[in-house]
Amino acid sequence: MESYRFDLVVVGAGIAGLTAAAAAAARGLRVGVVNAGFGLFVFGAGCVESRQLLPNEAPEKLGEAIEFFCDLTRRAGCPFRGGLDERRHLPTIMGSFQTIALAPFYLWNGDAAAQVRAAVVGIKGLSSFDAQFATERLNHNARRQDLNTSYVAREIELSWMPGTTATTLQLANRFDRDADFRRELQQALEPITRDTDLIILPGMLGLRSGLNEISDFERALDCPLCELPTLPPSVPGVRLSNAIERYLRKSGVEFFSGFPVRKIDLDGGRCQAVQIDAPARPLRLVGDEVILASGQFSAPLLGAEFFGVDGWLRPITRSGAVIAENLHVAGALLRSTGGHGGNERAILTGYRAGMSVAGQGGRHAAE
Amino acid sequence: MRRNDISLDNCLKCSDCVTVCPVVTAHPAYPGPKHLGPELERLRREGLPCDTEWVEYCLGCHRCDLACPNQVDVSGLIAAAKARHQKPFLRKMRDFWFARPGLLGSLLTIAPRLTNLLLGLKPVRLLMSRFLKISAKRRFPAYVAPDLGPSQAAEAGAASVLFFPGCAIRYNQPDLGRKVVQLLQRNGVRTTIATSGCCGLPALANGDEAEAKLRARAGIESLIEAVSSGTRIVTACTSCGHMLKTGFADLLGDEGELAEKSRKIAESTFDLGEFLMGRADQGLLNEAFQPSSLRLAYHAPCHQTSQGIGRPWFHLLRRVPGLRIEDLDAGCCGMSGTFGFKEEKYPVSMAVGQRLFEGIRDADPQMVVTECATCRMQIEHGSRVKAIHPAELLLAAYSEQGQS
Repeated sequence: MESYRFDLVVVGAGIAGLTAAAAAAARGLRVGVVNAGFGLFVFGAGCVESRQLLPNEAPEKLGEAIEFFCDLTRRAGCPFRGGLDERRHLPTIMGSFQTIALAPFYLWNGDAAAQVRAAVVGIKGLSSFDAQFATERLNHNARRQDLNTSYVAREIELSWMPGTTATTLQLANRFDRDADFRRELQQALEPITRDTDLIILPGMLGLRSGLNEISDFERALDCPLCELPTLPPSVPGVRLSNAIERYLRKSGVEFFSGFPVRKIDLDGGRCQAVQIDAPARPLRLVGDEVILASGQFSAPLLGAEFFGVDGWLRPITRSGAVIAENLHVAGALLRSTGGHGGNERAILTGYRAGMSVAGQGGRHAAE
Repeated sequence: MRRNDISLDNCLKCSDCVTVCPVVTAHPAYPGPKHLGPELERLRREGLPCDTEWVEYCLGCHRCDLACPNQVDVSGLIAAAKARHQKPFLRKMRDFWFARPGLLGSLLTIAPRLTNLLLGLKPVRLLMSRFLKISAKRRFPAYVAPDLGPSQAAEAGAASVLFFPGCAIRYNQPDLGRKVVQLLQRNGVRTTIATSGCCGLPALANGDEAEAKLRARAGIESLIEAVSSGTRIVTACTSCGHMLKTGFADLLGDEGELAEKSRKIAESTFDLGEFLMGRADQGLLNEAFQPSSLRLAYHAPCHQTSQGIGRPWFHLLRRVPGLRIEDLDAGCCGMSGTFGFKEEKYPVSMAVGQRLFEGIRDADPQMVVTECATCRMQIEHGSRVKAIHPAELLLAAYSEQGQS
């Protein structure tokens, strides 16, 4: 069986896994990431909500972790806005509001507390988004929650290629590739900007775009805009995932995408390797340190003994014995019954796991 | 092996595959992998007529398979539909030859100078466009009389490998094949050159499953003896490597003894970069590189990504002191072997490549590095920047006069 050696092997490429990989790579470690699919990025946009953190997750480190994460997303071209003390009510396609502390810049303008008139823009032929419905619910909920924004529904027409099904993915691809399409979209939106202060679009402003492209568009339109994440696959979420992965790849992080983890080789109190089902033969990714950040459904990888984690985020048994001294757990797996941690947990524990590994040095550091 | 009946039921229609499909990004009318694969497959299995020309537009890049969170063999389902698709006569004729680069290569290299002269003539290219539906905008690669040099005698105590050259190296770039042998020699590895013909991947890509099976059988025949005695197969073409690792077993998985042999070959096959990275991990890589001032951009071919081996060449080249290399990470080049040569598919091929061409323009490298021969053709065609196999650069890095 073949093996590849890394200072750190990360399982999972959600927010926790990517943050862990970035923290270790920033210290010059050789990092390999194993993942299958986009994880939760397809369901939302990566917004950070404040939730209850556990004492052994070291909540006092949250500020430092968030700072690191914001720096990472800025370098990756998809910067986050906001801060731990901020609370913004951002609209959803179902017409409700989410209380958000930090969000990617392309969502951050949607602050419902602002005294503005916002246009929710539907696109004719696009089936997965109903501007009329969202607007009615948003106005209803805004009144109920004492929020100041008033919403109006608008519809624009864009040229579709005949015979195609209109999807936000198609719109996003055209936004990425086609300057004519961006102009067409801008011209369609311009009349709406005359009597509104904010344009709210279904998530469609590119899968490969970032601050440069979206800000350029906003400037040309001369009106603030924000996106609403739509049904999976959510364009704003995939955009963030693409941006961070691309940044990490360029910094030398290796991705093994699409191959399920067959098992985690636990032996002699250490994680000896992560085994993946690569074509032709299983591949052993041998890491001096291993971080498991693949979500709550991956608990079986740790065996029946897995009970929780110690202060170093290492998995322990019910009696408190460490299952593997070089293995750390991050993200949703830490609390398999407690639901999603609003991404605060993912960022905090991903960062802490990555940093504690980086503290160990790194024998295979990038040549 | 990923292809099985359960795989179809694993599809939750999440559309992750659609977000990564290069053809979807370039061609809004393309129905995408989810529809052409699992969705239509359910109807096909009911015997309902749902043949569509769109299956021909699948590049076989496997990005959908890798994006799937549930390991559905999306591209395999499309390939099976492609094999049953009915084509118009002229395209059938053309694809007959495109499915057989080994046969084509052996014929065209009988008199390579005449071949190259003819293939370069404008009237010939226009005739080919008219009667064979081969785009006149493409230039065929030059054909060269096959000469991969002699195999090296095994030496006691020295590592040895079996080199599977593939058609592009055998008929178009034998000098690259000789350099691969030299590079291995520099690392203390003796090389025997496999007599195998085409790996069969072009046949699969052109919907000719019968020919692909023939090639797979012949390939197994020519490789199994060496593999059985523990010799590793090394490829320097990522598509051949992908085929040896997955294609033989997919095609012949139900054929008892052949299935067993194809699995053995798969287990013993290594991309050259993967093989050298393995040596590096064991401390066996010759790292006597001379400093270099080259500024390069790296493009990872789809069939390298699909092998699940990371980017060995990117890391190997980064070991050359002074050499700067950037990973373009711009997706599929759009060439997909013979796909880009097809008259009706040329515009899609170029549209898929747009992101890569823009990436190259922004990076402004002296050369683009990539393992795949047809990716190199597309890159030179679309960006006018020279494209080179990484083995050439690594070999040149050993000699002082090789680099400026």
